[in-house]
Amino acid sequence: MQQSEVLERLQGVFDEIFLEKVVVTPELTANDVSEWDSLLHVSLILAVEQEFGIRFRVGEVEGTKNVGELADLIAKRTEKK
Amino acid sequence: MTLTYEGRFDRPNSMGDTKTVGNALHQAPSESTIQAHETRGLKDLLRDSDSSFVPLLKSKTKEARSFSEVLALNTLRKRASQTNLWPSSKSTLRLAIIGGCSLRPLADLIEHFTIVLGDVNLQLWTGDYDNYISEIMDEDSNLYAFKPELVFVLPSERRCRYTGRLADPLALQEAEANQAVTDILGLIAQIHDRSGASVVVGNFRLPPYFDPGAMRNSGLSSEYAFRKYVNYQIGLNLPAYAHICDIEFLANRLGTVRAFDERTWFESKQPFSTDLMVEVAREFALLAASLKRATKKVIVLDLDNTLWGGVIGDDGLEGIEIGTTSPRGEAYRDFQQTLLEISKRGVLLAVCSKNDHDKAIEPFLKHPEMVLRLSNIVNFKANWEPKSENIRQIALELNLGVDSFVFFDDNPAEIDIVKQFVPEVDAIWLGEDPSTYATTLKDCRHFEMRSVTKEDLERVQLYQQEAKRQELQSTATDMDAYLSSLEMTATISEFTPIDVPRITQLINKSNQFNLTTQRRTEVEVRALISSTDHASFTIRLSDRFGDHGLIAIVVTKIDGAELLIDTWLMSCRVLKRQVEEATLNEIVRVAKERGCERIVGTYKPTAKNGMVRDLYPRLGFAPGDLADETSTYILDVANYSPSKTKIQVAEPAGATI
Repeated sequence: MQQSEVLERLQGVFDEIFLEKVVVTPELTANDVSEWDSLLHVSLILAVEQEFGIRFRVGEVEGTKNVGELADLIAKRTEKK
Repeated sequence: MTLTYEGRFDRPNSMGDTKTVGNALHQAPSESTIQAHETRGLKDLLRDSDSSFVPLLKSKTKEARSFSEVLALNTLRKRASQTNLWPSSKSTLRLAIIGGCSLRPLADLIEHFTIVLGDVNLQLWTGDYDNYISEIMDEDSNLYAFKPELVFVLPSERRCRYTGRLADPLALQEAEANQAVTDILGLIAQIHDRSGASVVVGNFRLPPYFDPGAMRNSGLSSEYAFRKYVNYQIGLNLPAYAHICDIEFLANRLGTVRAFDERTWFESKQPFSTDLMVEVAREFALLAASLKRATKKVIVLDLDNTLWGGVIGDDGLEGIEIGTTSPRGEAYRDFQQTLLEISKRGVLLAVCSKNDHDKAIEPFLKHPEMVLRLSNIVNFKANWEPKSENIRQIALELNLGVDSFVFFDDNPAEIDIVKQFVPEVDAIWLGEDPSTYATTLKDCRHFEMRSVTKEDLERVQLYQQEAKRQELQSTATDMDAYLSSLEMTATISEFTPIDVPRITQLINKSNQFNLTTQRRTEVEVRALISSTDHASFTIRLSDRFGDHGLIAIVVTKIDGAELLIDTWLMSCRVLKRQVEEATLNEIVRVAKERGCERIVGTYKPTAKNGMVRDLYPRLGFAPGDLADETSTYILDVANYSPSKTKIQVAEPAGATI
């Protein structure tokens, strides 16, 4: 899966989770969104796992710096299947 | 700032391993697009400040099973509080949550459920990760400064284990397990002594992994047995101001494989999988609400297709499905049995049915398989008025608020009407499969016993005295004492039209305790009812553990001075209960009534009925013609004195009409 395709599907997930509109870009970080606190993060990652039918390994998401890297991780995981 | 957060993610329930667990919950969560869509509906209502936001969010919260849905609802509710769309409640609860794990986002779920289901304003204080022991022990801690009314404590699960070797002596294992119990009870007592707060303690999940195999339940050294024992002992020794949030049960109900997620422990010290987190939060909220609020008092019941299968007005007494003759009949009977048990806790039963009154009461009066009788129903409304009106009328007559009522019906339209016109009543749709009715009732959360009353305690003393008395009178191995203790009651009845299907079923099915294996069709059985040459009866047996239903059948033919036993059969599950003796007593009584001097019993051997080969001689019959194919035995009526049995003989339900 291309990063652009993952980002497109991530936009759908973000629209479900955040009350305010958040535009998904590779450079986006949690810091850019006031709603994106620790609690919402748990919910967001869970929704991402469900959307893509994957399960991140322990510590994996912690290593990503922004949404672009998260998308790359998702792409890697979905290819492995 | 990166994507790094303290509160971390959790396992989705759509992953492969949950499939192997099976469908643990019938309301299993589903992340469907419908849910998402309805959450979006809530977003629109919120944006428009529409007041129907509040009831919709409440009902969504009641049904919500998935972690992300509850979180989404929580966010929406918070937004509604900011814009004052969410109403402020009259009562406020000061709640502290402490424990041996990370308490967020569990506390956020608890906050949401407690506010929405408990209808309170919440002041929430959460302790630090695994700091609960010092928070409790230090009287100057922030826990006590907060002045909580209620404290939810989740003791460390990882430390609740045996630290020695698997094969250590049992006494060592017990000592450590008892110490764990004492420690937890001690912490609970300190919380209460220092703050006056009520305490809810979360007990422990049982591990889902196979290790250590056969040693798991052979002592207390496995984590499984150790925690099971600790949970049990905490329950037995809990003081009155404390309550258990039964996490062991919740995890078992969900399936322990699904209740555990080690990743979330390693990443952010979350105590449970997300699925279990939702269940624990909801359970805690209901517990907290029940401490402040009365439980429901009245169950209002529909009749047709709710208490029995079919429509009494169309199908008649013989046509409705109730009792052990059919699987559906058994399901309705089980629902009635569950209702009866709940009514013994002090819950009142009422009927509200669209029926003619005389028709509607008939099964309660005359049907032998009904568990509920008119004496169990405090208020009986069978008429053609709207059910909402009838329920208001019942409340008026019982002098109880309708908000203490729960209504059960199989018809979704009636549920809708009651929901609309008497919204205070919880109207519960039973669905289309009667086998789920009893479970629906047991899962409705309205009639649970919260605590033991003074009367209950007195009753315990009474039982203990009685037990001592019985101990002195007899030993447990004494058969007579055992039979007495069963408190058996037999109901003997002539054949009735209602019983024809069950009689026919038994006549054609029974092989073992069956003297002649004489089969008959339903038409032939029906003919016996009106035959003047025959005298036939059925026996039902119940004991203190429940009702066995129709278990014995006798058909006799009167031939001048002789009464011939044409059919004598019995269900094997009541063997050795003296039903045989009670049956013969009745046969002799019938013989006397019909002026017969002798009773002739016949035994026709088959491949399966060897167990009754010696029944007649054992009961005092003299041998008549003995042959390989058919043997007869004779009893002189005049010489027979009735056997004494431990079975009390009662009149059939319809006999008093």
